[in-house]
Amino acid sequence: MKLRSNFFLGDSLIILVSLIFIIFAFKTFWHFETGSVVQVNFQGKIYGNFSLFQDKKISLVGKEGSSMIEIKDGRARIKTAPCKNQYCVQQGWINFTGQILICIPNEVSIEILGKTKAYDSLNY
Amino acid sequence: MTRSIIKIKTTLLDHQIAQLSAIAIGLSLIESVLPSPMPGVKPGIANIITLYAIYRFNFKTAIWVSILRVFATSLILGQFLSPTFMLSLTGSMLSLLTLYFVIKLPSKFFSPIGFSILSSFAHIAGQLMLVRLWLIPHASIYYLIPIYSAAALLFGFINGWITYRLLKQHNSI
Repeated sequence: MKLRSNFFLGDSLIILVSLIFIIFAFKTFWHFETGSVVQVNFQGKIYGNFSLFQDKKISLVGKEGSSMIEIKDGRARIKTAPCKNQYCVQQGWINFTGQILICIPNEVSIEILGKTKAYDSLNY
Repeated sequence: MTRSIIKIKTTLLDHQIAQLSAIAIGLSLIESVLPSPMPGVKPGIANIITLYAIYRFNFKTAIWVSILRVFATSLILGQFLSPTFMLSLTGSMLSLLTLYFVIKLPSKFFSPIGFSILSSFAHIAGQLMLVRLWLIPHASIYYLIPIYSAAALLFGFINGWITYRLLKQHNSI
């Protein structure tokens, strides 16, 4: 097989189409939606839905002790937890749809809700 | 007792396949020790040899080189029949299949650069499909498509360019 020219129109087209595809892929699959509501689950039940656009502190007293949930500036976090590991506290603030913080010892979880439900990898 | 010597008759093509495979295996091994930013993002420099084989020899040689490379590398690295091996095999086969069709495109408009890009896209598409169907059957892996596509374009281009330079040096252009 021989190569004849110095400029390859086909190659350029392939590169262009690839670039368009990559941009399209980034826009489609990396679409993060900021949520507006946080759902607080406590002891297996929905404790309540709270708007993210308010300053609020919710204190839940469970088996292990007191968990403090803080809502501020459109974000939510678990501020304090009574457990040993503090995983939920260390994950910090969440604000995108589908993000979730879970404290298993004290049976507290908070999830950000939006217009559409994001992939639920936990219940899958 | 007479000593029996088993002699396998080898053709010139066998020698060419062996030589090319040896280089491809070497490149794969070098690549396997390079650190990778995330699993699956690899330059795939052994594909240079596959493309080179298509241009310099024929498609049959390329198939042999590709299959031998996948099997030998996995045996050396101890990954034979592991998920890594299956991913590598799926990727290579799909990329060969793609090359089989696109290589017929007019060489006036297409060079190894374009074919290399298409082949690396096919490679990652095959791997992602296998991951989706078998290893991580969950939609969240689609999240990785943009990164893998960008890597496919970048490394596909570089590999293609190297192949192009090699072929030019060896006067087959």
